[in-house]
Amino acid sequence: MTLGDLPVVSALADAGPDDRVFDALLLAGPSVVLLVAVAGRSLVTEAVAGVYLAALIGHVCYLWLRGRD
Amino acid sequence: MNGSVATVGRDVGRILQALGGLVVVTLLVALVWGEFWAAPALVVSAAVPLVLGRLLWTRYREAEDPGMLHGMMVAALGWFAVGVFGALPFLLLAWTVRIDPAVLAAPDGTATLSAFTNPLNAVFESMSGFTGTGLTMTDDEEVLPRTLQWWRTFSEWVGGVGVIVLTTAILSRPGSGSLTLYESEARSEKIHPSVVSTVRTIWWIFVLFTFVSILTLWLAGMPIWEAINHAMTGLATGGFSVTDNSIATYDSATIDFALLPVMLLGSIAFPVHYLMLRGDLRNLYADLQTRWVFLYMGGGSALLVAFLHATGPYDTVFGAIRFGLFQFVSAATCTGFQTASPPATISLGDWPAQAQLTVTFAMVVGGAAGSTAGGIKLIRGLTLAKGIRYRIAEVFYPDSAVRRLHIDGRILDEEAASREFMEAAIITLLWVAFLVVGVFTLLLTLPAGEFTLENVLFEIASAQGNVGLSTGITGPESLPTPSKVTFLFHMWIGRLEIVPVLVTLRAVFKRGGMYE
Repeated sequence: MTLGDLPVVSALADAGPDDRVFDALLLAGPSVVLLVAVAGRSLVTEAVAGVYLAALIGHVCYLWLRGRD
Repeated sequence: MNGSVATVGRDVGRILQALGGLVVVTLLVALVWGEFWAAPALVVSAAVPLVLGRLLWTRYREAEDPGMLHGMMVAALGWFAVGVFGALPFLLLAWTVRIDPAVLAAPDGTATLSAFTNPLNAVFESMSGFTGTGLTMTDDEEVLPRTLQWWRTFSEWVGGVGVIVLTTAILSRPGSGSLTLYESEARSEKIHPSVVSTVRTIWWIFVLFTFVSILTLWLAGMPIWEAINHAMTGLATGGFSVTDNSIATYDSATIDFALLPVMLLGSIAFPVHYLMLRGDLRNLYADLQTRWVFLYMGGGSALLVAFLHATGPYDTVFGAIRFGLFQFVSAATCTGFQTASPPATISLGDWPAQAQLTVTFAMVVGGAAGSTAGGIKLIRGLTLAKGIRYRIAEVFYPDSAVRRLHIDGRILDEEAASREFMEAAIITLLWVAFLVVGVFTLLLTLPAGEFTLENVLFEIASAQGNVGLSTGITGPESLPTPSKVTFLFHMWIGRLEIVPVLVTLRAVFKRGGMYE
């Protein structure tokens, strides 16, 4: 059994644009917000939040560039 | 008639069940924040729509699938029911604090919370939340219990996408007329052939963008609880705030500019988001509505900035750009966040008349169809403009000429062009007619001489466009009861684009024997 076989995960994956990176970002979203809420503002939490946003923007750009090739 | 009651009753019952589920989620928030005194009120607030919804569902479960008339009635009555039953948390929490049962150890009351002991104020807040309007009966949102802060936010977040979209996503039955209901909630766009798959994808995108918005606002300097609430209401283009002076509380240019992309995301249609998440960024300029979202926001903001700078409220160009850009985008996306308010700067109500009317125009037009934004919608404005040009140009062609109207990549023949033009014209005419009726009603019911005509026009356009910007007219004390009822009606018809409400009222009056 893989992570993708879990009911919630598979339902989320089915609803999205069929992309594992976006699925992972969606699933990681609550954890990142919870981390920020519990740990407060620090260099580490700001970096985690920054990486989350960069991953989303970067992946959209990557898909766009790949589609132009 | 009985068939209609059964079909409408069954589907409104489903919507009430979904509403009860939302209150159950809010119960968890109350427990997390340690507001245990709020739990009994929330349990009752959840139980009433759940039980009533279950009864309706059980009684009429074998009813026929909805046709177009049923779909419109379900949308109109469902949204009305959500507005009424969604008021229960406000009403019951306020009365819990007022009665103060010793066993619950409720906190001390505040004037803000006390306003919700009036059922009309509670319904106003609920309707404003679910329709994504953002006009409020609170004086100071900061002193509200966290539970109610969340309920206001949550109602806007769900209402932004739509209560029928929510109900379809979680309670849908295959082949049960979901498409009819979906279309009756002012939506027509589809991402997948199946409506159920479409609404699930809409929620997928919406949830992902919510996390992105929360982290963006937090990185811009907002505390996390406020970032969560403002991200949810900003993305839903609702505009409720958990601070006393909306976004003006922060007086931070960084936060102002961080909110711009959040509001813009909310005003772009979900199918375009879906394509962009698949790497098709061409739609930012290739899709007619999305292109015009940027052109219209850019042009309107530039005009507003010019008015503000030329007429003097702001001494610096940066000040005029900061407040003009934010307020135009906030109005045109129908969000209603306010930065033009003390302590950051002078109030919107004190802006020069031409600046207020520019913002009013932005609220009337609104964002893209298929997004969370309200107003007449850009596509209708564009259809009207193209249709008018088409009709005028007709004079210059011979009678035998075969002409086509091009809208958003579609080529329409004479009949289809007439149909689309008429639909856009009807909605626009109704929109303006109700706007005028609302202005007259407000002028008759407000204290004479207290507010200017542009203030009144602004406030009604804000309610009907589901925007929420205020010149100071709306408030628990400042707004007389008939005006509150007027605003409730305008928020309701604005969210459903008027026609479903008129159809429902006609059906109710006709079948009820009021006229034949």
